[in-house]
Amino acid sequence: MSSSPLPGDASNAPAADPTGRFVRQPNGRVRPLSPHLQVWRWHVTMTASILFRVTIGAISVGAAIAVGWLAALACGPETYAGTAALLGSPFGLFIGFGLTVVLFSFLLNGARHLFNDTGNGLTLKSANLLSNIAVWGPIPLAVLFWVLLFVTGRVSL
Amino acid sequence: MSSQTTKNPAKFKNHVKISERHGAVEWLTERVALALLIPLGLWVVSSVFTLAGAGYDDLLAWFAAPLNAGLLILTLLTLFLFASLAWKVIIEDYIHKPMAKTLAIGGLNLVFLALAAASVFFIVRLALGSAPLPAGIGA
Repeated sequence: MSSSPLPGDASNAPAADPTGRFVRQPNGRVRPLSPHLQVWRWHVTMTASILFRVTIGAISVGAAIAVGWLAALACGPETYAGTAALLGSPFGLFIGFGLTVVLFSFLLNGARHLFNDTGNGLTLKSANLLSNIAVWGPIPLAVLFWVLLFVTGRVSL
Repeated sequence: MSSQTTKNPAKFKNHVKISERHGAVEWLTERVALALLIPLGLWVVSSVFTLAGAGYDDLLAWFAAPLNAGLLILTLLTLFLFASLAWKVIIEDYIHKPMAKTLAIGGLNLVFLALAAASVFFIVRLALGSAPLPAGIGA
């Protein structure tokens, strides 16, 4: 997709192509490609932004699962015994771990979004820092949460 | 257009145009809901930690405390309000056909409304220690 300025196109080609993002247009001229998703250098702020939308989707599903859990609980001990067995199974624990990742992701990314909405944390340095925390933070937090659950004996395989 | 501008002159605040309809209110509501969800989410984390592995009777005792039941209702209602507004923004970004957009937003709002109503129903029953469902419904 991207190529350096082509030889023989001196009128259009800059002497050097520091960006490496020039393309030959259909009319044969060499031009920098206009900014679009494919030509922006990937940036962690983009990951954080997209991940927040994914997280909102995931936490909606998580909330629906929570309502299902409430329903099972409201149906009495016999019905809930089956749900509890499912929750304690390896599959249930796997889903539970995923939901805690989602919850921590929602908290960290939501806090980042709110902070940015007030007009703060938008310099390159702090935007990078906040986005990195929001993107990577949920994983160690969720691992720590589950390690504590197992260590305290609340959950076991 | 000029007649409209004279009739309804655009209002500005700090050199930023104020939305003519309800966009600003939705934007602010979404932020307030999210701001509420941060402390409520931390409370959910701590509650899940204390309740993990708890049996049926312990869970019912937890729900019997009005603070727990009330906070859980508040959390879920705020979450569904936020989800409804956030999904609206996402849908408006990607679906541009008016009919499909309206159907997607309306459909999701119905789903969230049903989930919100169901969560309140179940939590109130659990908090009051009502007989297990479906007792009391249609019986």
